[in-house]
Amino acid sequence: MANSLRGKVAIVGVGQSPTGRVPGRSPLDLTAEATLNALADANMEKAEIDGVLTGNAFASSFHRFSVALSEYLNIQPSYSNTLQVSGATAGAAVNTAAAAIHSGLADTVLVACGDSLLTGMTPDMAMRAMTESRDQQYEMPFGIPVANTFAMTAHRHMKEYGTTSEQMAQVAVTFREHASRTPGAQKTELITVDDVINSKMVSSPYRKLDCSLISDGAAALILTSAERALDYTETPIYILGGGEYYSHEHIFLMPELTQTGAVNSAQKAYEMAGVTAADIDVAGIYDCFTGTVLMMLEDLGFCKKGESGSFVEDGQMTYGGQIPTNTHGGMLSYAHPGIPAAWFHFVEVVRQLRSSCGERQVDNAELGIVHTLGAGFSTQATTILGTQSTR
Amino acid sequence: MNKTSKDSLEKPLPTPDGDSQVFWDGLKKGELLLQHCDDCGHVQYYQQRICRQCQSVNLQHKAASGRGTIHSFSVVYRAPGPAFKEDVPYAVLLIDLEEGPRMISSLVGKDFNALDFDIPVKLKTIRVADEICLPCFELTIS
Repeated sequence: MANSLRGKVAIVGVGQSPTGRVPGRSPLDLTAEATLNALADANMEKAEIDGVLTGNAFASSFHRFSVALSEYLNIQPSYSNTLQVSGATAGAAVNTAAAAIHSGLADTVLVACGDSLLTGMTPDMAMRAMTESRDQQYEMPFGIPVANTFAMTAHRHMKEYGTTSEQMAQVAVTFREHASRTPGAQKTELITVDDVINSKMVSSPYRKLDCSLISDGAAALILTSAERALDYTETPIYILGGGEYYSHEHIFLMPELTQTGAVNSAQKAYEMAGVTAADIDVAGIYDCFTGTVLMMLEDLGFCKKGESGSFVEDGQMTYGGQIPTNTHGGMLSYAHPGIPAAWFHFVEVVRQLRSSCGERQVDNAELGIVHTLGAGFSTQATTILGTQSTR
Repeated sequence: MNKTSKDSLEKPLPTPDGDSQVFWDGLKKGELLLQHCDDCGHVQYYQQRICRQCQSVNLQHKAASGRGTIHSFSVVYRAPGPAFKEDVPYAVLLIDLEEGPRMISSLVGKDFNALDFDIPVKLKTIRVADEICLPCFELTIS
């Protein structure tokens, strides 16, 4: 690799707004609150931000959310963009912010996103917001919500590898256990595999509890160069590697339904970081649906293809297992405000690597991975994060 | 926040463009057109000016046989918006066409118990607007 981001940039501040049901708060308001909390976390003045990257908010009418957010905060950055790669926007924004800092386009970049999918829109509008991301000619006329693209991949995974509904349900059960220890999680009441199996079918094989939540909320990250990072925090969390992959637009042109571009994005990120899956201590994995997590455990290299179901049943995805994942509860139990959802995976992995997670702390967490994805596995972004000692 | 959206009650209909007009015209005649590349032999769904395999512009539109198999499927119970509320449950299919390409479609009818992987289906066009017929599929009775 001719050029590498390894260790050049660090996350020095993380913050979030209230999450879950937060009525009467606009997406910009929520995102601004998350930003102010991230600035406080970094002991930083807002004037030091000279770059802003965001995703878009469905409940906001602004086309340039990053520009609108800057105005709302009264900052005038010299670098700004509103990224749109669906669920992978969080990872893509972090990777892109790191590249911008490394290249000199910006010194300190705010990477933030917020939305109010739960109370700012009706459930039908929220669902429709998801469906509008499918092609209006060759997909949407058949009534294919984005859930359906993920459902069909999971269904084929069941056919090819014998993955069961009970194994998928275990993902929801595990993340609910994690959320039960996380202050502010939207769903904290423990559930069983039977609860998932007995919940209403949404898009087969996915039932209601296989599907992520609909929430309000925002989160923000502040990135700066490794040289400046120690001015703001004693525990900078470094970007060690980044990789992305965009294999298709239409679900019918996905090369194989049961293997995704996460293989490629992760390979690039691991190579840049000089680590392998076996080295990673804690993970944040985009969990729009239970089966999505199973396929990612395989494609990110934590288990062999087809073995993710038993991997999860064996407790390998929680404390004491091979790779504690989504220790905040993920989109299945913590919050899913749409595009911002994966920002919370970053916030949680940063907090784990800072050893600031209290009762949900993973022992000796030094290396973390965040993998975000979207649009029926079309978009994939992997980021490897590490503590000072791994740099 | 506006809680209602008039267009959310209308089903999305394709708006044919320069690439796809011929495809939607074909369906009005009951033909599902695929593009065959004269230079590399690649067969593609959906219509565009260049071959996705070799970038040749020497593409011929040919009607598919209409035969295929189900690669995967999902029965939708929670409608994606108000426009589909009256249709649920319905089955969305990923079809492997006999000629090679894969496409998204939906099942004609509601015989969900008979759905399975890798079973044969055949094309049935369904008129949904004056100018638009959708390429749907029905189970092949063997």
